Amino acid sequence: MIYLDSAATTFQKPPEVSAAVRGALRSLTTPGRGAYPEALQAAETVLACREEIAALYGVARPENVVLTLNATHALNLAIKSAVPRGGRVVISGYEHNAVTRPLAALRAEIHVADAPLFQEAATMAAFDRLITPGTSAAICNHVSNVFGYIQPVEWLSELCRKRGVPLILDLSQSAGVIALDLSKLRPAFAAMPGHKGLYGPQGTGALICGEGVETAPLLEGGTGALSVSQQMPDFLPERLESGTPNMPGIAGLLEGVRFVRRKGVEALCGAERRLTMLAADGLREIPGVRVFARPGCGDQSAVLSFLPPAGDVERLGDALGERGIAVRAGLHCAPLAHRTAGTLRTGTVRVSFSAFNTAEEVRRFLSAVREILRDNPEFRL
Amino acid sequence: MEHYLILARSVTYAQRMQKALDRAGISSRVYRAPRDLTDLGCAYAVRIAPADLREALLTLHREKLNPVQIFAYHRGLYREAGNDLP
Repeated sequence: MIYLDSAATTFQKPPEVSAAVRGALRSLTTPGRGAYPEALQAAETVLACREEIAALYGVARPENVVLTLNATHALNLAIKSAVPRGGRVVISGYEHNAVTRPLAALRAEIHVADAPLFQEAATMAAFDRLITPGTSAAICNHVSNVFGYIQPVEWLSELCRKRGVPLILDLSQSAGVIALDLSKLRPAFAAMPGHKGLYGPQGTGALICGEGVETAPLLEGGTGALSVSQQMPDFLPERLESGTPNMPGIAGLLEGVRFVRRKGVEALCGAERRLTMLAADGLREIPGVRVFARPGCGDQSAVLSFLPPAGDVERLGDALGERGIAVRAGLHCAPLAHRTAGTLRTGTVRVSFSAFNTAEEVRRFLSAVREILRDNPEFRL
Repeated sequence: MEHYLILARSVTYAQRMQKALDRAGISSRVYRAPRDLTDLGCAYAVRIAPADLREALLTLHREKLNPVQIFAYHRGLYREAGNDLP
């Protein structure tokens, strides 16, 4: 299989990741519940994972790294900590349902900083206009999960700081792909999955909490600390982590983050960007195909959407799947992003890359698209 | 054997303390805190030798890893260390 769906989950993992998962099943018990060697080793693994993620993002205190089930879990924690019921929130026009659905559940007053795709100046102007005193939070993904659009989060963090508005960053598509120094950006929260660019197993993620921010647990339960109290601990990470953690997942995530740090985020990003450009240039050469990328793929990570000249994107996704090429078609759980870009009716076909893809795989994908479009009248105008 | 127990907020903090002490060349070990030392139950502690107490506390202070409580173990009993702390 040629796997081009790493924006959903990186499927190929470094061998150390699966070895760590297997090792955890054999040798690690639950951290924070005992002081026998297997429990302490588990706790050391968890702490090492927090430390690696903290180091990746320039975060001084590893206890501010809360380990979660995925980015959705992390975003829910962040949003429900920062946004009161009915609170005013400003979000980008490219947010995922992991942001918009929790906000809907809170009946938040949502203001969308609407801007055309890849128009950084327009994005900044929209946030500048909407972030006003009394805004409970601003929420922005670093990279659109549909279009790979890299949003100006450094600029936005400065704006939010100046206006005293907490910023929640969704790093779902950029974690392990684009470097960020959170010690400079100082967002209230930064949420990320473990199973995408950090190469951990599914069922892992992290929430980096800003220094001193108020947090609200989603779950209450055992933490291995202060058991007599019927209140959750008032300190991180235990405040936001109750119940037995996903030890095999965390052990795998630790090795995934180590892989990213060993390879270097810049090097990984550069290689994936070259594949994105190869795919974008090749798709542009196919008559009638609409490619959502600017020449040179500036402001874009390793996520690329395109549309066939006609026909259903899901049928094209299926046709590629039948040829052993895994892509994602449809709305990608981000109807807002499609509405903003004008593709809500059609959806798009999305390809996305990881460290394990090659130029040859991209060439085979392009050949397959050409053949499918040539041989199937449903995709022709 | 006489020693000091430095109580931590949780296992996360206890292990961070142990790492910080290790970097400072101070030998320590993480334990579950004895039940009668913790009113709120379930805590972790770092055990150190009496001779290392002063340097250990300086190290933890520098790393912003403040102990919850400190106990001295003497003649089979724990008592909270207070005025005798360096």
